[in-house]
Amino acid sequence: MIEFQQVEKHYGDFHVLKGIDLQIAQGEVVVVVGPSGSGKSTLLRCINRLEAITSGSLIVNEVDVTDKKADINKLRREIGMVFQHFNLYPHMKVIDNITLAPMKALGVPKPQAADTARMYLDKVGIDDKAGAFPSQLSGGQQQRVAIARALAMKPKIMLFDEPTSALDPEMVGEVLDVMKALVHEGMTMVVVTHEMGFAREVADRVVFMDKGQIVEISPPEEFFEQPREDRARLFLNRVLRH
Amino acid sequence: MLDISIFTDHFGIYMKGFGNTIWASVIALLGSFALGTIIAVFRISSVKPLRWVGTAYVEFIRNIPLLLVVFVFYLGLPSLGVTLSGFVCGTVGLMVYTASFVAEAIRAGIMSVPSGQTEAARASGLTYMQTMRHVVLPQAIKIVIPPLSNQFINLVKNSSILGVFAGFDLMYYGDQVASKTYATFDTYIFVAALYLVLTLPLSFAALQLERRLAKNG
Repeated sequence: MIEFQQVEKHYGDFHVLKGIDLQIAQGEVVVVVGPSGSGKSTLLRCINRLEAITSGSLIVNEVDVTDKKADINKLRREIGMVFQHFNLYPHMKVIDNITLAPMKALGVPKPQAADTARMYLDKVGIDDKAGAFPSQLSGGQQQRVAIARALAMKPKIMLFDEPTSALDPEMVGEVLDVMKALVHEGMTMVVVTHEMGFAREVADRVVFMDKGQIVEISPPEEFFEQPREDRARLFLNRVLRH
Repeated sequence: MLDISIFTDHFGIYMKGFGNTIWASVIALLGSFALGTIIAVFRISSVKPLRWVGTAYVEFIRNIPLLLVVFVFYLGLPSLGVTLSGFVCGTVGLMVYTASFVAEAIRAGIMSVPSGQTEAARASGLTYMQTMRHVVLPQAIKIVIPPLSNQFINLVKNSSILGVFAGFDLMYYGDQVASKTYATFDTYIFVAALYLVLTLPLSFAALQLERRLAKNG
């Protein structure tokens, strides 16, 4: 469903992604971990072309992302994305945050979009907040709205870019629970996170990145119990100690 | 002492000019807002030719005196076979001129909207224009209101340029009254008072709007 082949990316002189090879199948949950600055978020953002790759090939949903003629808006409608800082639209109520893209990008009529929005709000456990503005919600609630917003487009793939990193610790659980529910429904997910517990529990594979490279790809039990690479071992020692 | 009869005796003339000043201001205000918004969107577009057009517009127009911009319409167009009245030339010139300042104010507002907003909207499949219209511009407008209201207050005052081109505005008729009565000082005091009647409410309305928008986070 997602296929990176020898993907390179440069920001000027900075080589962010080096020779990335990665295949993700439908229904698979891949968790990407690694030290900050290792290129995890960039890797994720290439999938829906928020970042353009410099060379190599990247096929997503059978669309060549590097193809200038590809209908990138169509591709993006099928990929939900959740951001570290939620990025809810502060000038719109929760319900309007969720209905905007279905109405404008898919042409769904308003009543139907609102019904769908309420359904997903219910699913993420905050159906009582439809009329609130994002600033009136806690961080955990905002992130759950952001997940509902992404799901309302009925995406085939969900991308999560450090979805719990900006949350107070007591709110991390509620967001992870929503994500776990998605995993159990068979959603294809790529998750960049520092939540090792989440990776261990739900990932099909863990991708460990360092300095722009994929250092190791392993099933979680293998990655956490006996990582193959020294760099992965070092990283795990540092993050799991506390 | 101020001679009130200057005003009462020429009330009709004052009001005619006042009415035309309002007209010119309203037309130029709406026009410069629309044009300025388009120029601002051009200016930050990722499409190079659009960006170039936007930048060229702002840098040329903003750095030419208003008087000369109106001259282009008043004296330049007739050489192409188009002759427009002083009122139209003044109003269009004012609109074109003010649009360059409006564009800069709006651009600054757009730039101040966090990039995560654009990313979220684009990632959900909205087009660039939809993202602008539904996500970025509504947020930018709040930030833009104070600088924009300054521009609109300037616009009302700058509409006095019409007087130079026989545009039948407040300044034009003020000049007429002054040359007829020789009571120059008194005449222009009343002209100034009538400009204040327009600009003070505008200032006040901007302040109110700013406060109201600030309240809904």
